Amino acid sequence: MFLEKLMNQTSAPVLEQMLQFTEARARLLSESVANVDTPGYRQKDLDVKKFEGMLRERVDRRDASDSRSTGFEDLTAEVQHPTTGILSHDGNNRSMESLMSDQAKNGMLHNMIIELLRKQFQQMDMALKERVS
Amino acid sequence: MFDSLDISSSALTAQRIRMDTIAANTANMNTTHDAAGKPNPYRRRFAVFAPGQPDNHNAPGVHVEQIKLDDSAFRKVHDPTNIDADKDGNVSFPNIDLSIEYVNMLEASRAYEANVTTMEVNKSMLNAALRLIA
Repeated sequence: MFLEKLMNQTSAPVLEQMLQFTEARARLLSESVANVDTPGYRQKDLDVKKFEGMLRERVDRRDASDSRSTGFEDLTAEVQHPTTGILSHDGNNRSMESLMSDQAKNGMLHNMIIELLRKQFQQMDMALKERVS
Repeated sequence: MFDSLDISSSALTAQRIRMDTIAANTANMNTTHDAAGKPNPYRRRFAVFAPGQPDNHNAPGVHVEQIKLDDSAFRKVHDPTNIDADKDGNVSFPNIDLSIEYVNMLEASRAYEANVTTMEVNKSMLNAALRLIA
């Protein structure tokens, strides 16, 4: 498919993977905030650094390949239980401050990626129409 | 993506129930007899949270597992004129400490706010994602 090849050569598939990651992380962060008062609850999170590393490695591999148009569908991120922070007497290792700042960062990253993706689609649209709009 | 809003709303419901128990405790902090008129002070109640949605405990979220009764001792006040006084002139008052209730109330309202903020963040993410279609 010509369009598929065209799409996979751009940063769109990378952005798509990042979007899925930030959405999954937003869900886990919501869960952690919801359970700040639950005794014995262990916080859940995804490792951003690790995922970005994996993504970078895949981008490098794509750029080195001949077709330069591989997808990124098989990337995964596993749920982790962060052990940082103070374990309260009720067995919950909540940290409201880091949760809220992580959430804000994650949300802004998500919105930034959406804007980049929109730009990409607009450019594609422009090229297809052969008209600046 | 939409279920992250359900997670936060389950937390709002749970914190609201907790707030209701605190309100009941504060309202009844001087209740020394029951509806039948027998000397029976009000026992402090508190909500116990557990992970999982109220209707499905495997789905992410939080719910009130049970409303427990606080088994600590009643407050004894010597007041022979009170109609609920025992033969020694002591009256049993509920085991409610206002400062504890206040602290719990603040905690509940802050947790409520945090979940509202979470919802706002998730809503902005959803709105941004919807703009991809337009």
